[in-house]
Amino acid sequence: MVGSVKKPQVTEDEARKSYPMFQKINGEHPFKTQVPDGRVEYKVRTKKGGKVVFFHFDLAKEMGLIPKDHPAVLNPELEKQILETFSLQIINEWDVENNIKFPEDEIRPNTYMATRYLQLQHPDKSGRTSGDGRTIWNGHIRHQGTTWDISSCGTGGTRLSPAVNIQKKYFQTGDPSVSYGCGCSETGEGLETLFFSEVFKKNRVKTERLLVTVEYDKGLAINVRAYQNLLRPSHFFSHLKQGNYKALKQVADCYTEREVINGNWPDVRSKSPTERYNYLLDQVSKTFAETAARFEDEYIFCWLDWDGDNILMDGGIIDYGSIRQFGLFHSEYRYDDVQRFSTTILEQKQKAKYIVQCFAQITDFLIKKKKRPLADFKNHPALKRFEETFEKTKYQNVLYKVGFKEKYAQELFKAHLNDVRVFRRVFTWFERAKSVRGTYKVADGITRDAVFCMRDILRELPQLYLTRGELLKPDEFIEIIRSSYAKKQDLQLTPMMLKQIKRFQVAYLNLVDLCAKDQKKERHQLLLDITMRSSVINKYDRVTGDSITYVVEKVSKCRPRLKAEEVFQIMSEFAHYQTLDPDLRAKTSEVDPGDNSPSRQKNILRDMAGIVRECREGL
Amino acid sequence: MKLVLYSGGDARANRVLDDELMRMVEVKNPLMAYIPASSYLSEIEFQHFVDQYRRFRVKRFLHFPVDVPFDRTLFREVLKADIIHLGGGNTFHFLLWLRKTKMLEALRDYVHHGGILTGLSAGAIMMTPDITTAAMPSFDRDENHDNIKNLESLGLLEFDFFPHYKNSPRYDTEFRKLTRKNKRMLYACPDGAGIIIDGERKTFVGPTWLFQDGKKLALN
Repeated sequence: MVGSVKKPQVTEDEARKSYPMFQKINGEHPFKTQVPDGRVEYKVRTKKGGKVVFFHFDLAKEMGLIPKDHPAVLNPELEKQILETFSLQIINEWDVENNIKFPEDEIRPNTYMATRYLQLQHPDKSGRTSGDGRTIWNGHIRHQGTTWDISSCGTGGTRLSPAVNIQKKYFQTGDPSVSYGCGCSETGEGLETLFFSEVFKKNRVKTERLLVTVEYDKGLAINVRAYQNLLRPSHFFSHLKQGNYKALKQVADCYTEREVINGNWPDVRSKSPTERYNYLLDQVSKTFAETAARFEDEYIFCWLDWDGDNILMDGGIIDYGSIRQFGLFHSEYRYDDVQRFSTTILEQKQKAKYIVQCFAQITDFLIKKKKRPLADFKNHPALKRFEETFEKTKYQNVLYKVGFKEKYAQELFKAHLNDVRVFRRVFTWFERAKSVRGTYKVADGITRDAVFCMRDILRELPQLYLTRGELLKPDEFIEIIRSSYAKKQDLQLTPMMLKQIKRFQVAYLNLVDLCAKDQKKERHQLLLDITMRSSVINKYDRVTGDSITYVVEKVSKCRPRLKAEEVFQIMSEFAHYQTLDPDLRAKTSEVDPGDNSPSRQKNILRDMAGIVRECREGL
Repeated sequence: MKLVLYSGGDARANRVLDDELMRMVEVKNPLMAYIPASSYLSEIEFQHFVDQYRRFRVKRFLHFPVDVPFDRTLFREVLKADIIHLGGGNTFHFLLWLRKTKMLEALRDYVHHGGILTGLSAGAIMMTPDITTAAMPSFDRDENHDNIKNLESLGLLEFDFFPHYKNSPRYDTEFRKLTRKNKRMLYACPDGAGIIIDGERKTFVGPTWLFQDGKKLALN
């Protein structure tokens, strides 16, 4: 709670004058006019009783909402402006049907849209009824050459929610008889997105980001997300399924326009439709191959499925509800979504490939104006390119994880592919080894434990080679690589195990020697370089899905005493602590958790680090 | 016994102490092990550590946090190192984990068998009889979050050490009081200064103050 000191009263005019950029976030968005079949419009009204419990000062600066030199302080003018911009609730079909009257001065002049997209949980299965079920798009904002999309979750139940379409009736926002369909969001959801997405962002995983959380009674909240382009494959797929050429073209053109103006793509707008849409397909193929490989290698579980719902068009993560990061390669974990089990982390690749196949179909449809069956595209060149890119990325990822600099990794890949392949094969053998315990139930699904911790062996091996100059004995190797999940039987030094231990070490040192020779360095110089990089990349404690859940629980417990600024500071420190990118020079000398933070924050950060450590091998 | 106590500061500030340390090393290709006070962001500290000593042509380094589980293989290698460096940070947290992991005994043994032990700030305090000075001065002390009662540390030295010293009455009042009470000598050094122990020889590098029986004496 904010203390008992009374805040100075700020008028709306004062707030607007201090933060004029917020005025541009008013429900207007090019998608609204360019893709009329792709959205439902709602009148919105001011939602009262909100309090800003989180504001991302750095992101707001990046977006130009506040000046670069703005202190990380939520002054009364800023809070007022945030609430005026984002504390909104839609006037939905239930309100209209029941003739609910709202004061005129609370109703905003502009409408806000909920977008339509395909969602597998809708019985319709073609996107006619599905889309943003509890989200509206606040608008877009352009700053320093980048346009950002902004949307809010928890602004009321729309007609596109699964509940409306399964139960064939409209719901009042907040109706306790439906959960997902009630149109509300919670503070905890926002915090989970916040902590996970900021860690991912620091580690160069593309992701939506949380800009604001406005909290109301009973932990309900509006969580405002921002990203440079919030369109998902599922925004295309609904029109594809329905064979709606016009709307599909509009979505494709709208998406292309944004990528071009944001400088991500060259200006393809003046090219012929064939060139333009083929470029779109190329980008999708490349992006989804790289993303699938990255997810697999970083053990990121993102439930990709045929609807293309849980991911953005550029491979960015959206909706953290089922996102996880595993500590080990628990490749048989499946999330139990009541009606069905999710894909496994290894099945994500096929789903990503399926998305590319759909885009091959989309491209063909857009160029020839005639929709052909999806099966016609099962051998499309885009899928071959997908496989090539996926494989190339997997090789580069494994070399990066070992600790080779990007330049060295690329040269190894080009000049010594066979040697890299030998190492990757044996690396994968250990990474995918599963416990004799077999498959069993966990709180939210089923899993089968991975036995080995590749991060530990990759962190310690270069140090030990540097120190000793010889291979480790098999029992030493096992002692380092074993995870806490390993049973005695999993670790037996069978002839196969002995062979693989030797193969791993020989292949590893072979790569080091090849690279050293290419770079005209001594083995010890390269091993030292790898030691330092690997100690960051393969840091002992890395976040997992479980740890984020507990971290958020911890913050939620403390949060009634924390101001929005403090949540921001804790988040920033936590994301910094979880930055595992050796190329980002980080601050520090004698570091204690949150050395510059007040004691209360230090304690929270220390506890959070303990949680991450405790959960580091889990789901 | 070969010990180097660093008060604090960066590589440039500690150049003289580092030169002296390297003179003490008798092997050609020394191995240096870095034990951070906390694993929290220690991988970054390790990078700074490596950068600091690779200038002296040291090529072999180990990074060994003790507040996370470690394996015996790496542990054995650490104790074979020519130099073990204890990092800076929260002295209470560091002591807790050195004790929990039985590293205090192992480090004593290491030093008595000729290993060179160096420490910066908290790491330097760790070589003294106890870590009382970590709780000083009252206006800028390490927090004892873990609520450690037993403050006994390595006890390799008979005096106390205070790092990051600023020559000011605010500090002096507390040190005079302490030394009147515990009858031990206390050496206080600002960043960049430190103490070298090589057998019976004790060398002070940079400005150092001695506090004894409530009195203060400038040594360097």
